[in-house]
Amino acid sequence: MNNMKRSIRRIFWLLALCFFLLLGYLGKLTLVDRQTISGNAYNTRLRYGDDTIRRGEIMDRDGEVIARSIPADGSGYNREYPRSRMAAHITGYSSVGKTGVEAAENFELMTLHNELFQRLGGILKKDELIGNSVKLTVDMDIQSAAGNLLGSAKGAVVVMEPSTGRVLALQAYPDFDPNKVAAQWENLKDHEDSPLLNRGTQGIYPPGSTFKTVTALAGIEYLPDWQTFTVECTGEAVFEDKIIHCYKNRAHGLVDMKGAMEGSCNCYFAALAQKIGAGKLAKTMERVGMKESCGFELAYTPNTVLLDSDSTESELVETAIGQGRTGVTPLYMAMLASAIANEGLMMRPYIVDHVVYPDGGMGKTTVPKKLTQICTPEEAAILKEMMVGVVENGTGGAASVSGVTVAGKTGTAENATGNDHSWFIGFAPAEEPKVAIAVLLENANDGNASAIAGKVLRAALEEMGE
Amino acid sequence: MFDLLLMLSRYVFLFYIVLFLWQGIVYIAYEQGGYLGSPYRAISIQRSLIVLMHVTAFLILAYNRETHLFGMQPLVFGAVSFVFLLAAVALLDRFYYEGCPLVWTGMLFLMDLSLIMLQRLSPALAQRQLLWMGIGLAGMLVLPFFFRLIPRFEVFEWAYIILCYGLLICTRFFGVEKGGSTNWLAFGPESFRITFQPSEIAKFLFIFYLASVFRKRLNWRSFFTTGILSAGLVLLLVLQKDLGGALIFFMTYMVMLYIATSNELLFLLGMGAASGAAMLAYKLFSHVRVRVAAWQNPWADIDFGGYQIVNALFAITTWGVFGSGLTKGMPKSIPVVESDMIFAAVCEEFGAAFGAGVIAIFIMLLYRGVRIALDCGRRYYAILAAGVTAMLSFQAFLILGGSIKLIPLTGVTLPFVSYGGSSVLVSLMMMGLLQWVCVYCEQHNRQEIEQEPILNGAEGGGFDE
Repeated sequence: MNNMKRSIRRIFWLLALCFFLLLGYLGKLTLVDRQTISGNAYNTRLRYGDDTIRRGEIMDRDGEVIARSIPADGSGYNREYPRSRMAAHITGYSSVGKTGVEAAENFELMTLHNELFQRLGGILKKDELIGNSVKLTVDMDIQSAAGNLLGSAKGAVVVMEPSTGRVLALQAYPDFDPNKVAAQWENLKDHEDSPLLNRGTQGIYPPGSTFKTVTALAGIEYLPDWQTFTVECTGEAVFEDKIIHCYKNRAHGLVDMKGAMEGSCNCYFAALAQKIGAGKLAKTMERVGMKESCGFELAYTPNTVLLDSDSTESELVETAIGQGRTGVTPLYMAMLASAIANEGLMMRPYIVDHVVYPDGGMGKTTVPKKLTQICTPEEAAILKEMMVGVVENGTGGAASVSGVTVAGKTGTAENATGNDHSWFIGFAPAEEPKVAIAVLLENANDGNASAIAGKVLRAALEEMGE
Repeated sequence: MFDLLLMLSRYVFLFYIVLFLWQGIVYIAYEQGGYLGSPYRAISIQRSLIVLMHVTAFLILAYNRETHLFGMQPLVFGAVSFVFLLAAVALLDRFYYEGCPLVWTGMLFLMDLSLIMLQRLSPALAQRQLLWMGIGLAGMLVLPFFFRLIPRFEVFEWAYIILCYGLLICTRFFGVEKGGSTNWLAFGPESFRITFQPSEIAKFLFIFYLASVFRKRLNWRSFFTTGILSAGLVLLLVLQKDLGGALIFFMTYMVMLYIATSNELLFLLGMGAASGAAMLAYKLFSHVRVRVAAWQNPWADIDFGGYQIVNALFAITTWGVFGSGLTKGMPKSIPVVESDMIFAAVCEEFGAAFGAGVIAIFIMLLYRGVRIALDCGRRYYAILAAGVTAMLSFQAFLILGGSIKLIPLTGVTLPFVSYGGSSVLVSLMMMGLLQWVCVYCEQHNRQEIEQEPILNGAEGGGFDE
């Protein structure tokens, strides 16, 4: 009988534990996960309140309003985007579903701060019910500079602050007018240029020679004699069943790593990768965060990373020079440049700085977060020095800014869709980096990504008080 | 103005449930020797709180925003159910004089919540639910007479299990499909069709069967027979795609076996076997895989498999701790909200804090049930009480956990709250049984009837050997 009572007690504790788990999980749902879950674009409950609550505003870093709600004739509100196309891929739209910040911050934009008082005021004084606003990290001056420079060339520009991961500009073309998405929906959704796709975060491209920064890093890490490792470049080299050419078959002569980086010598980096081996290069690719999900607020596509220790030599040497099957987003390349600028520390990119209450008070603020340490500060410094060389003596000359040391790496990526893509990644000032950038031009063929990058960098440095 | 009152009503409801739970603590403290207040007063406060909640909720439900008048139907239904609640309190007190009052108040609170929520979701279902509650109440009131008439109902163990099998197998021939499982029976003409789940009745009989077998000291032979017979029931339920039911039967068996034998090894072995069986079921049945996938990542398949759970999560999280206020949410966007997902609807409109209170009431009922089992001198009744408590608690855990995505969702009802005729009926009968054990033990405690477990065959009426 006593045994039985002990068993009954144990069963009680077991079941009670189950119920306490329920309580704990319910608490986690409503206190911790609330925003992520209910902010989902599928949540019809947030759309449900649309016409009684005035959706909050979206502002840039200086407080310029880039999305707001205007009372419509009769009841309800219309959403308006004063900067129209210029910030289209940032704000997204809130009409035929939601994208961009409109989707990511849907919850905050529709949340009433001090709900009880607002409702009281709504009844007694007929005050409006106003949702929270969000202030972004984006600077509209840099954003428009990037937009104007990009013009009507397909591509993307991503500008970041290396030390924090703040996104200062996120420009992509083709774009759309968020004011007219509903009216032009049929045309937009099936358009062959996919204007609704944010090429900055969702476009996947071969990284081309910008990837050589990663190959170089692997060399520095795994080859003790990398400083004395040289290659006699004849303009082409044969590996297994693959012939690697340098750009326009130009021979670079005897080059070391610095020289190869400046001249963007494919033969050197292919030989270097052959020496490193596929397994180790794959490890470095993992360490620089290519496989990691970056946790950015807006929709993004993960990079395509296929190299592993079983890959063939052809695959290895192609990957090493940024061809082959590797695919990256411009956002990731900006993160990579930022990490090199930030002594190897890769920060989580973010675009929403803080929430602003209707009474002007400051709500939840995003805290910069470390994503991963891609290499040691010493290794980052070596890479930086080589990247300065690229802009000063090498292929990246067009990116130079007068009076400022720019570090960077150019890229020309062969691809299946037509002419080569043009890339530039870099940061400035090299001594104390304030801005990092990635520019991609689809099917551009000539190296004008560097020129755009230089001008955007100059505009950004002016804005950042340089 | 009404909107403002609605907003305030959210705090009022939360206040009701918090005070209700506190009075429960006051009562339990008194029993344990502490004194936080008079236990009689605590129970009467709890009863008043149920009445207050009922009145508040039905006033909100009856108010019509457009006409600024109170609707007739909700008021009448509110009044009828109000009378039902009062009658239930009075009658239960009378028929189970020495029963535990805390169990009654907890149960009535949940039943009232059920009526409120169903009236809000679908008045027609609320009326049916009240009808079933009435039938259940009548059944509960008859129960003590029935047990007094047949004092040694443990001798019918074979009858119980045969009936169990009969009930489960008959759905294979006469069953109608509903919600993906063919475990329903339908009666009556098309106009007023009554459908019920025989497996619910089988639950009741199954507990009787197990308690009857386990009241004796187990020998290997009876251990294997019960094991195989119970496994057969579970298998039948799995074949009918009633996974929740299968889990409940299995857990009840394990718990009662453990209580009867106090053998941890057997319990762990059983759990291990169950895990193996679950893996096998995952490999064999596609509907199991669908359920698990919808649990692991409902976001990947929002439009189809994950739709129900994702909408439940939206309902729970969107309005936060205090909820949207009664009638202000969108619980109807959750599929099967009136039975499986009713907890999500409660969390949506009354708030997650209120939902936590509902869970706490279940903990209170579990505690009381276990207390009754512990205080019971007679082994057979102790096992019965423990079995009933464990089955109801586990069922509540299954569906509560399923609707908040703690565990994969299985379609079972939340006892007392979900809509479901046979479920309400059987849950009420189980509570009646539990209370009857309580009454029986109170009455016999002085006589010190301490029946030591009797060796096999001695008491079994000759069925065992």
